[in-house]
Amino acid sequence: MSEAINIGTINDIDEGEARVITAEENGTDADIAVFHAEDGNFYALDDTCTHETASLADGWIEGTEVECPVHSAKFCLKSGSVLCMPATLAARTHKIEVSGEDLLLYPSVSVLGA
Amino acid sequence: MSTTDNCPSEANAAIGKMRGPEHGPKNIDVSALIDAEGGLIDRSIYTDTGIYDQEMRRIFARSWLFLAHTSQFKKPGDFFTTFMGQDPVIVTMDKTKTIRAYLNSCRHRGMRLCRADAGATKMFTCTYHGWSFDLAGALQSVPNEKAYPEGFDKKQWGLIEVPRVTEYKGLIFGNWDQDAEDLEDTLGDMRYYMDAMLDRDPEGTEVMGGVMKWELEGNWKLAAEQFATDWYHVNMSHASALMVMSPTGKGPKAEIVATPGRQFVSPNGHGAGFPTHPKSRFDAQAVHEHYDYDALRERLGDAAVEGPMTTGHATVFPSFSYLPVNGSIRIWHPKGPNKIEVWAWILVDKSMPDDVKDAQRLYNLRTFGPSGIFEADDGENWSEIQAVSGGFVTNSVPLNFQMGIGSEREDGVYPGQTSELYSDAAGRSFYKHWAELMNTPAWHEHPAPAPAGEPA
Repeated sequence: MSEAINIGTINDIDEGEARVITAEENGTDADIAVFHAEDGNFYALDDTCTHETASLADGWIEGTEVECPVHSAKFCLKSGSVLCMPATLAARTHKIEVSGEDLLLYPSVSVLGA
Repeated sequence: MSTTDNCPSEANAAIGKMRGPEHGPKNIDVSALIDAEGGLIDRSIYTDTGIYDQEMRRIFARSWLFLAHTSQFKKPGDFFTTFMGQDPVIVTMDKTKTIRAYLNSCRHRGMRLCRADAGATKMFTCTYHGWSFDLAGALQSVPNEKAYPEGFDKKQWGLIEVPRVTEYKGLIFGNWDQDAEDLEDTLGDMRYYMDAMLDRDPEGTEVMGGVMKWELEGNWKLAAEQFATDWYHVNMSHASALMVMSPTGKGPKAEIVATPGRQFVSPNGHGAGFPTHPKSRFDAQAVHEHYDYDALRERLGDAAVEGPMTTGHATVFPSFSYLPVNGSIRIWHPKGPNKIEVWAWILVDKSMPDDVKDAQRLYNLRTFGPSGIFEADDGENWSEIQAVSGGFVTNSVPLNFQMGIGSEREDGVYPGQTSELYSDAAGRSFYKHWAELMNTPAWHEHPAPAPAGEPA
């Protein structure tokens, strides 16, 4: 699963917002949330919070962090690491590349290296 | 703006599911405490804890109560927390932009669910154990849900919704009684008097700034009744404020002090009084100059512009009051028989230029609200009444509401029954309606119909 998928352009997601690329679209077993962070960069994590069932794409994006809308767990968008309880497990990251205006998602390719 | 009254919901079977203590609440027959025809009130209605508890059950749990203004909600997830009687509620705009209201208490252990005064959210998550409810009140997430028994159904544990929420010209009201008479019918002729404030501007109204909140010693009815019926106190209680406000500094002219006027008396307990002397106006100069009075006469009618649009007072039964001249709208939240929490908003016309809105805001703050020179006088009166009400002999002496007995009539100009400006008529009617409700079982006292599939 290292093939890139074109998921649209950088103008499709406003800064501070996110969109979900469903499992069906991304070819993995999980929905992926693509975030446009306040540092201007794009990041991708598994959409479902590692704590309970909740969509991180619906969460609050601040700087390069996302806060889960349900129980306020926080994750680093760059690394997926947990920044605040009640989550304890890191979120899976997926590589994102900007090519011209196009947004390319590499499902299951961790930004942390294999 | 749509509200749940566009699609009434079912009464929640969880209310009263467990019946409470065996003995149940004892209801007090209040007919001996109110002599509306003779104009006598037993003052124990301001202090008795049994009467207060009964008011929560038979007045506040079945009346249309003011919740918020529509301009407080712009996007889904915008919310405001308030009270209906002593019941905490969340008012929010759901994803379909419908205004809904929920009991602000987690279904799990009863914690206050939303602890903010106002804001925007995607979920209401309890800070105790993390039960999380969406904007439609549905329970979405239960941490460690797998530990609950197999029959545990999240659908059964959604927020308790206020079954009736409706809007009248920007004002949002809620009612726990799903079979309550429609708000507009309950208001009846009162709408004409409210329109003189709410319907001046084709664009409607909005509230500006936040909500001013302050506590007073006093029973909620003292304030509600005064705003319904009492112009009488103005020249005495507010003498110093009137001296300050008069353009000459020498006080208002005799004909203004003795101004003619009318007082609307609603059979449903509402009341509104207003002078009709053309020079009896105490509005902010910038606001006065802003209005096109010919257009207002065209829109509202001459009588509304000459009367209820001016320096009047009003109460929508039981606990919502307003002052058209300075846009003060307020709710008297009961906090026990001896305490009121006043929540006051500043209402302005939407299409007013910003400098006019600001002039109204400053005028409002100068006269009413926690720093207002008139408001301080009123609060002092109510608190002094309450402070001496604990005395046994004091509390055994009836109060006088006899001004203008027999003066109520249809005057051919103002809708409904009206009395003189200086009159206790709307006060007598307020208490008459109060007594009727207090002596009539409410929706929650009828035996609940058994849900389908369950034995009765």
